[in-house]
Amino acid sequence: MSGNTIGGPETDGDAPSGAILSTEGLTKQFGPLTALDDVSIEIPDGGITAIIGPNGAGKTTLFNTFTGKHAPTEGRIEFDGQRIGGVEPYEIVRRGIVRSFQITNFFSSLTALENVRLAAQARYTGFGPADFLTHHASHEEPIADAERVLERVGLDGVATETASSLAYGQRRHLEVAIALASEPRLLLMDEPTAGMSPEETNETVELIEDIASDTTVVIIEHDMDIVMDISDQIAVLNEGKLLTQGTPSEVQSDERVQEAYLRGGGHE
Amino acid sequence: MMPVFELLRDDDEARTGNQILSRPGRILLAVGILGLAAAGPIAGSIQPFWVNLLVRMLAFALLALSLDFVFGYAGLLSFGHAAMYGAGGYTAALLVGQVTPNALVVLPASVLVGVVVAALIGWLSVRARGIYFAMLTLAFAQLLYVVVFTDLPATIAGAETVTGGDNGLYGIGSYELAGVGFGDPLAYYFLTLALVALSLAGLIRLANSPFGRVIQGVRENEDRIEFIGYNVQRYKVIAFAISGGFAGLAGGLYVPFQSVANPGLLHWTVSGELVVMVLLGGMGTLWGPMVGAGLVVFLEDRLGGVASWEVILGTLFVLVVIFAPRGIAGALISLRDDPSGAVDSVKEALKNYVREVRD
Repeated sequence: MSGNTIGGPETDGDAPSGAILSTEGLTKQFGPLTALDDVSIEIPDGGITAIIGPNGAGKTTLFNTFTGKHAPTEGRIEFDGQRIGGVEPYEIVRRGIVRSFQITNFFSSLTALENVRLAAQARYTGFGPADFLTHHASHEEPIADAERVLERVGLDGVATETASSLAYGQRRHLEVAIALASEPRLLLMDEPTAGMSPEETNETVELIEDIASDTTVVIIEHDMDIVMDISDQIAVLNEGKLLTQGTPSEVQSDERVQEAYLRGGGHE
Repeated sequence: MMPVFELLRDDDEARTGNQILSRPGRILLAVGILGLAAAGPIAGSIQPFWVNLLVRMLAFALLALSLDFVFGYAGLLSFGHAAMYGAGGYTAALLVGQVTPNALVVLPASVLVGVVVAALIGWLSVRARGIYFAMLTLAFAQLLYVVVFTDLPATIAGAETVTGGDNGLYGIGSYELAGVGFGDPLAYYFLTLALVALSLAGLIRLANSPFGRVIQGVRENEDRIEFIGYNVQRYKVIAFAISGGFAGLAGGLYVPFQSVANPGLLHWTVSGELVVMVLLGGMGTLWGPMVGAGLVVFLEDRLGGVASWEVILGTLFVLVVIFAPRGIAGALISLRDDPSGAVDSVKEALKNYVREVRD
């Protein structure tokens, strides 16, 4: 794991080798509000990067620019050496950036298996005659992929149950499974442990570490114990600016971070 | 009829727990179609007029089916399906009247025109969602209505007449196929029934295809489907175009049978009544809206003289919305799954309704 790549707000230009995603001068404005202000960040290839910061720091907006939901107002985003600013969300998924959502955001009347199969199908389907004229269940690959992913997140026992009937922790895992079915190279997870019991949280942390063994993971997380425990890299956002980026111990000892958290307050 | 048989012995099990129409449902549908095939000659021997009514019921059933594919299935509420219906109808009128009565030429042309009109309207409308999408489709359909009503094509081409303006086109002959004429209403009925059955089989197949699964996902959660890698806008436009093709076919079947094409085919009231038919029948089931359409056409014909038709249709609609919010199909399904529970829920619905009206 390349946990020692240090980039900061003052670093611009050449991405150090090993960055899977980098931004340069990334700015996003919503009318008069500047949600992201000149952010230059590097996500190292492999391992877990945590993005932390007080509420309203711009963490979710940063995710939204990575996934194509918001086009940047200024600046550039590069994924795997290619610019992705302004690229449509579905195209970004195909290139390998996939996100999971904080609130469960799936297809609630479909079965768990079908939720995941639908995501897996995107990698196989197009607009050819077979995509219109064959039965979806006659395509083996998406089903096999979906079954494998469900097993990985521990939902293989409830594959045929309707998504809306699953327990809270299972729903959150289904959410992750849908994202994994797209076979991401970079997985963005928005507060994966929010609202979970300690037991569910432990399971989820294990799952994230398992995923990170073959996928680059970026998480937005408020629980500092988890962040310090699992992250290889931490990036701190405050008021739309990148305050600092570094290893957990570097970030922990950074005075600016402590100051921002004290001023911003409001975190458990 | 081959696809109908293929559909019946569909071997791909519902492994994903997500199949439109189980095997018993398919068998029931096939029995229904065979029943309709037998009903034609029987109805004709009693009174030829009944065959005429059956053809109209089938044409509207096909039209409702086409709307259900985008509305009940992809979640796109089209308030402009009369545009594709009318376009298909006028295409048939013009071709039969001036080029050829060959059904193998004219009907595919009606389908194609329906697809093209729908693709255009869809492409211009799908970026809007919900009620805004509905209003855009309504606006485009009314635009086409005015184009036909004022015979704009004739003005542009400098011809005397193309669409016949507000009078429309009349005296349109019937179809021919391999030397066989369909002037006899019973023959026309069988032609229509065969094409409606094929269309239903085709749309069920489409609904269960990988494409069909994606548009169902669009209905379920449009935001998420984009973030698992699907081009939502393109899926919507294609679904709308497919639906338009079947609406065009319905127009192409209706017009030569009535031997008249008038601008009323494209009027927004047709689109509106169609939405009512789909809701009445039970959206998203494909067969439900067909039953709803058949019922509405039948009642309109039988009861149209008794009282103002709008009043009857309105009353029927209100009753269904209160007691069977998922339409006729929904009511039948819950009756099958849990007969006593279904009766209880009707009582419950009545109680709730009375309480809400009082408060």
